[in-house]
This record gives sequence, structure tokens and C-alpha cells, in this order.
Amino acid sequence: MIASLMQGDLFDFARYRGGPTGRTAEALETGRSRLVVTGLVISMAFMALGWRVVDLTLFADRAEPRLARSVNPLAPVQERADIVDRNGIVIATSLPAVSLYVDPKHVMDVQETADKLIRVLPDLDRDKLEKRLSSRGRFVYLKRNLTPEQHYAVNRLGLPGIQFERGERRVYPQGRLLAHVLGVTDIDGRGTAGIERHFESKLTGGGAPLQLSIDLRIQAIAHEVLTNTVQEFSALGGTAIVMDANTSELVAMVSLPDFDPNRPVEMLGEAGFNRATKGVYEMGSTFKLLTAAMALDSGVVAISGGYDASKPMRVARFSITDYHAKNRWLSVPEILIYSSNIGAAKMALDVGTKAQQTYLGRLGLLRPSPVELPEVGHPLVPSPWREISTVTVSYGHGLSVSPVQLANAIATTVNGGIRRPTTLIKQQAPEGIPGARVFSPDTSAKMRGLMRLVVSRGTGKNAEKEADGYLIGGKTGTAEKIKASGGYSDKANIASFVGAFPIHAPRYVVCVVVDEPKGTKESFGYATGGWVAAPAVGRIVQRTAGIMGITPEFGMPHLAATRELPADANEITAALKPAALRDVENVSRQPEQVRAAE
Amino acid sequence: MAVREDALNPPSFTLRQKLWQMHWLLILLLAATASVGFAMLYSAAGGNFEPWASRQMMRFGVGMAVLITVALIDIRLWLKYAYVFYLGTVALLVAVEFMGEVGKGAQRWLDLGYFGLQPSELMKIALVLALARYFHGTSIEDVRRIPHLFVPVLLIALPAALVLRQPDLGTALMLVITGAVIFFAAGVRIWKFVLVGIVTVAAAPIAWGFLRDYQKQRVLTFLNPENDPLGSGYHIIQSKIAFGSGGLFGKGFLQGTQSHLNFLPEMQTDFIFTMLAEEFGLAGGLALLGLYVVILIYGLAISVRCRTQFGRLVGIGVTATFFLYVFINMAMVMGLVPVVGVPLPLISYGGTAMLTLLFGFGLLMGTWIHRDVMVGRRGIGDDV
Repeated sequence: MIASLMQGDLFDFARYRGGPTGRTAEALETGRSRLVVTGLVISMAFMALGWRVVDLTLFADRAEPRLARSVNPLAPVQERADIVDRNGIVIATSLPAVSLYVDPKHVMDVQETADKLIRVLPDLDRDKLEKRLSSRGRFVYLKRNLTPEQHYAVNRLGLPGIQFERGERRVYPQGRLLAHVLGVTDIDGRGTAGIERHFESKLTGGGAPLQLSIDLRIQAIAHEVLTNTVQEFSALGGTAIVMDANTSELVAMVSLPDFDPNRPVEMLGEAGFNRATKGVYEMGSTFKLLTAAMALDSGVVAISGGYDASKPMRVARFSITDYHAKNRWLSVPEILIYSSNIGAAKMALDVGTKAQQTYLGRLGLLRPSPVELPEVGHPLVPSPWREISTVTVSYGHGLSVSPVQLANAIATTVNGGIRRPTTLIKQQAPEGIPGARVFSPDTSAKMRGLMRLVVSRGTGKNAEKEADGYLIGGKTGTAEKIKASGGYSDKANIASFVGAFPIHAPRYVVCVVVDEPKGTKESFGYATGGWVAAPAVGRIVQRTAGIMGITPEFGMPHLAATRELPADANEITAALKPAALRDVENVSRQPEQVRAAE
Repeated sequence: MAVREDALNPPSFTLRQKLWQMHWLLILLLAATASVGFAMLYSAAGGNFEPWASRQMMRFGVGMAVLITVALIDIRLWLKYAYVFYLGTVALLVAVEFMGEVGKGAQRWLDLGYFGLQPSELMKIALVLALARYFHGTSIEDVRRIPHLFVPVLLIALPAALVLRQPDLGTALMLVITGAVIFFAAGVRIWKFVLVGIVTVAAAPIAWGFLRDYQKQRVLTFLNPENDPLGSGYHIIQSKIAFGSGGLFGKGFLQGTQSHLNFLPEMQTDFIFTMLAEEFGLAGGLALLGLYVVILIYGLAISVRCRTQFGRLVGIGVTATFFLYVFINMAMVMGLVPVVGVPLPLISYGGTAMLTLLFGFGLLMGTWIHRDVMVGRRGIGDDV
């Protein structure tokens, strides 16, 4: 073979030396060396070709076309985790959904494609559709979340370039019931409000459902009661909160007006505003409970003590008067029962500005609530905090807080004096998140008695009426709204009631705040906390107590109400002891037993 | 030994002597390569000689006759009539400009009734002859002087411009590169090439503006074929998939799915190498590559062995043309250069390229037969 390749004298290089001499020879030499160079270049080119053949045939995958986006129908869809209530009932879930998109590069005939698509999906806009079909991108959505029927119909058309994207759609089976708690997800399934947004990364991680502290049954009742109240009093809106008094878990949280999270567009405007956490209001007289608790806890006044409320009081340029003026000396219980601004102001002045600020700070009223929502309002704190601020804050003006903050502060007041941060997540430990002591257990016990008195004898009577058979303690509040033009309006109120029950061993705090209620015939034209919010709280207690495993206490409840308030200090103290309020040890089950029985 | 003495100063050979001097091994290699083509065309037609393989065989037969005829004609005669041949081909190119057939968006063909003629193909040979003659008559000192380069540059530029107008970028490039190789072999100073190279690179952005839309599209697609997998990137992507599906030893003769299921366009012409690679795999592809390398080695060796400048330059010109066919086509189907529409020599279906190449190899064979013939400045009748 080699020999045959050597045919003739082709490779007999010795012969190349012969031939012409001189200039011709030089030219030939140059030519020859250049031919060698040419040969080298050619062999390099062939090496490149050879390498390429090896590369393409043996490392084939490199040659496959890669599209920007491809759908593998077998690939598991990454699911957003469900959200469930404290009893495991699903309140937010994700369903598989198919979205329609176009890869305009593959569309053969825009007109024909549009014709066929519109025949199957008549709600598509023709102009927009054609624009999308002929756009420059490689991925343009045409319609999100097809029904299975639509999916089938479009698939049957077999249009080139028209493709399906498998994804999932967030569904809220309870509709508007949990609107402000859950929030919403956007079109791409990302949380944009509420729990959905706060726990975005946790939810997208998939896995176990997120369990909230909300009890769906109680939420439904609170929602219904508040809706009726807002309607009855033609109010702008309102909020209803049920909080576990011991753990600060939110069991129900309603804000009206609300929206259906399945249709996020409803969320725009007023409906999206969460009055329970985002709205901050001057709470009015409900703050007197806190003022009394501070005074008792710091020891500046005894439960049997009192203040002169016989005439209006002057602080700086302002005159403080009472709404239900008695024009006499009032004992501490009477100050709360008759909701005396003068009494509260004098207690606060005795406590002092520094101590008041310290207590309010420990109660969490000077900072935004730690609740797990993006929609949290900042309290409006008086600045600078003068003596007049101390006075007005004592009866709930000059300091604006959100309703959940108030509920949390009242929970602290009645649960033995320990403040735990408000939460929407079900706590595994029975005592909840570790807390910090604000009031002594003794102060807390006295406050329970005082709250009971307000309901049985004072402005909170309407709560008692509605909650027939259950012992509520609480306080009304009626704050005049600040007008847009400045100053207070005497027509527009924030009517509120915050209460705890059963008051001898509180398990829940219920708070209802109604924004601008109008008086009705039934309320004799009143639009105050006592006439608007207190009955709503009563109704919520009456309807939910059974669900919570709290038995009614017929036969014993009116004990404090039926008696005249004792004049003697020791008797007052005795009357306000929980055991005296109710002979609880004998008749009713303790909270621990109730909990164990659930 | 007797032959040798004659060869040292052969006034002329007899026909019999010339046939004896033919490099039959080279002819065997050419036939082997063409046979690979017959087999692939047989496969491309789904296991039929019709419509491609049989006609290709016929053309190869005619081409072989042309080769032998051209080889037997005295090399000095080719030198003498080189310019005539060149001018005649230029005239044909001009004719195409006015009365050519339009095919696939370009005006390349002259309809001569019985068959179509592509003067641009013929020009590849004519240019080699004309340049070889020019440099044969120029001393090495003159070659190094710039004024002496005007004529040969013009010899290249005129047909290149005409071909570019058709428009046929691939052939125009081949003419320019072949011309450059002959310049190089003739001894033009290296720095001139470097200078032209720099100027070309600098002028590239300007030239971009003169490219037709489809040419721009091809260059862009070459840079990223996946950009447009159903449009102009389709060829290359399908071609690469075919290579990948071939693997080490291929799917077997007649078994290529990419080609037989019509994923591969133009499989009988420009993309025939892809089909070969799919059916015979890496082994088949490298084997064909080896065959081409051996032919090229012979071409270069014959050129080196030749004693006359004319013969050497014709040899290197033909070899370069052949190399460019092979390289551009293979690099194109493997995605190394943009798609320019150059057939795979001796294998792709098509008459003009086959005839051009065998004509060229006829000249190469001629220089081999007449390797020791002294050639004057103007060929026959002008001996030293």
C-alpha cells in the first residue's frame, strides 16, 4: 500500500533539488516553502473539522435546541402550602390550573389563530389577542387559569405556537370570611397582603400547612354579628376581635368592609383596609381601665380610695368635664362605672407621666403590634408628652392605637398581668409565647372585679343583656373622631367595647370597634359604645361561648348587679374578689379543666 | 531510467507515454470518493438509483473523460490560452447578469438548452489559470513590487464583483481566497497579506451595510442558530441533531431518520455530509475526511514536485479550490461557519461543481504529466 502510494517519483524529494538555477531557482524555493506553509494551514483546518465531527457525534446533547421555557407535563408542580385554621380546616389552598400562552415565533397565521381562539374563548378581546399573537417575545400570556373544559377545547384546536403552562391557582374556600387575615395572592401566585405576604417564603417552600390561631367557627360568628351591627347603625365600618386572654392568640379578627380574596380587585380602596391592625384610633374611655390598673398597680390609690369629681378640672388651658357628671366624690369603681374623665385624669396625674409612659410601653401601646401581618399601623404618640397629654391619654385621647393593641392590653390586664405578643399563629405550648409581667396578679384580680362592675352596673349593661348567662367584664368607649379640618367632631364617633369573659377566670378578650355609627330608634338615638359595641360583644360571647366549651352560669350571674355598691372600703374589696363575684370554685369549671376537655 | 532521461528534457510525449504517466492512483481516489457520493445519493432517494445516484454516475463518467482530456493537453497550451479562457468566462458571467435564470433568489445559471451552466463555477478554474500565467511570467523581484500586483488583483476583483452581484457570497469568497493562496504561493510578501487582513477587518462593519438581508440573517443565525429554530436556524439545528443521532458508528446505511423523515433539508446536495454522519457515524465521517486529506496531500505534493511556476501555481490553485469546497461545506453543516451554500466536492448531487472539479483535477494531472517540461513565458513557441 505504502509502495503504491509512492507511485512514480512523487515523494522522491531528492529530485526536487535539481532543475534551474539562479533567479528561477529562488522563485521555486520561495514557492516550495510557501506550499509547505499552505499544507500546514490545510492540515490545521482539517484537524478542526475532525474535532468537530467527534464533538457533534459523541457529545450530541450540546446540539439540541434549548427553548427559553419548556413545559414538562410530568414534572411535579411546586405547590404553595395550604393555610388551615386552628382546628385544621382548610382556609386557603392551591388547585392545579392551566394558563394559556403563545410563543409568537411559532404562530403561522395570526388571523386564523385569533379566529379559532375567540370561537372557543369568547371573552378574549380580539385586538389585544392579535397584538399578543404577533408580538416579539417568546412567551406571552393569553388567558390565565382556564377551566378544564376550556383547556380541552383549546387543545383540540391544535394551533401551533399556542401552549399551556401548568401552574396553580390560589383558592379561598371561605371567601370573604377571612379576607384581612389571609390577604391575597397576585396573578403569579405571590402573596401581596395579609398572611399570604407575611409568610410568603414559608408558604412557597411547600410542605406542611400553615396553621393559624383563628377558629373558623368563631370567626364566622364575629363576622356575622359585626356585619349586622355595622348595617344596623349605618356605620362606615368596624372591627371585631376575639383574642385568647392567656396566650394572646387571635381567635377571630374581622374588619369591615371586606373583600373576597378570590377576587383581589375588590381589595382596592376602603375594603382592603384592615381596621383591626392597620387602623389606629383614639379609643376613648376603654383606656380608663388601663389608667385604673396603673394607679392600683403603682399603689397611688387603693381600690377603696377615690377622687373629687364635683366640678370640672382645669389643666393648662383645658377644662376636663364628665359626660355622665355626678358632681361629687367618686370611688375608684364609680370612676369606671360612670366613666369619669375627671377621676381618670386625677388618677393619671397621681401615677405620673413617667410611670404612665412606662406602663403604656410595657403594654405594647407605643410601638406597632407584632402581629404577623404586613398591614400594621403605627400608634400616634403625643409628642412632646406634656402634662395635658398624660391627662388626655388617661381617658383615651391623644394616643391612637389599633384595636388589636387595645385587645392585647386588656388581655394583659385580666390574665394575671402578663403581656404576650399578639399572634395569628396557633401556639403549640399551652402558655403561648413567653411574656413579660406588667401588672401584679393582685392588680389583675381587682381589675377583673372592676370590669365586672362596669358591665353589671355601668355603661356596659347592654353587653350583659345580650350575653345572657355568661359573665362579661369590660368597658365602653365613645371617642369623637378627629375632623379632617382639625378638632373633634361631635357627630362622628368611634364606638367601642372591650371585654373579657368569663370574667372570674378570663379565657377570651372580645373587642368591637364601630366607625361612625348613627343612632337608631332602638338605641334611642345613641351611637355610643354602650349602645352600639357592647351589645355586639354580648352577642358574640353568647353565641361563641358554647363552641369554646364555656358553660353558661344561670342562677348566679346578677349578684353584683342586684346589690347596691357597698360603701365600706373593705366590703368593696371583698365584693370584688373573684370568688365573691362568683362562687366559681363550686359551680363552674376552671379554664384548665375546660381546656383539657376540648 | 530511460523514461527519466526523456523526462529531463522532453520535447513532447506521445499519447501513449502520457497515458502511462497518468497518476492512476489519484484517479482511483477520486473514483472512491465519488462512489461514496453515489451510495449516499442512493440512500437519500430512499434506496433508489433514481433520481439522483444514476445521473450522478453519468456525470462522473463525463467528468472523468473531461479530466483525462484536459490532462493530456500540453500544459503549455493551457498557459497560452489562459487569458482567453479567463476572458471568455468573464463574458459568460456578464451574460448571466443580463439573461441568467433566477433560482432560489439568485441569478446564477445560463440556460444552454440541454443543460444549465454556472459560469461562476467555471470561473474558479479560469481564475487559477489566469493568475498562474501572470505570475509565471513575472520574476520574483517583480512579484515583490506593488505595481506588478495591480493586474492580478484586478483579475480577482472583476469576477468576484460579478459573482457577488448575482448574489453568491460563497463563490465570491472562494474566488478571493483561491486568489490569495496563489498570491501567497507566488511569493508576494507576507506583510501585504497582513495589511490586507487588517484592512478587511476594519472594513467589515462597512461591508455589513452592503450585505443583503438574507446574508445578514445567515450570519446572525450562524452566531446563534437556536435563536430561530424554525426559521433560518432550522438547517443547522436539524443538522446537528443528525450528527448527534449518528453516534460512533451511525444508524446504518439507509437508516438515517433525520434525513429519511425529511427533517434535513437539501440532504442530497449541501447537507449530504450530515446524512453520511448520521448513517455511518463518527467512523464514516472521519473516513471521508481521511479520503479528502489523502487527495489534498497528492495535490500539494504534485504542486511541490512541479518544476515550473505555472504548473506549481495551477496545482496549488486547484488544490486550494478543492480544499475550500471541502472545508466550507463541512464547516457549514457542522455549524462552524455560516450557511453559504457550497456543495461537498465529488459527493453532493450537482453537475457543474463535479465538472469544474474534475476539470481542475485534469489540470493538476496535466501538471504532473508535464512536470519536467520547461515552459516559456508565453507557453508553446516561446521556449527558453
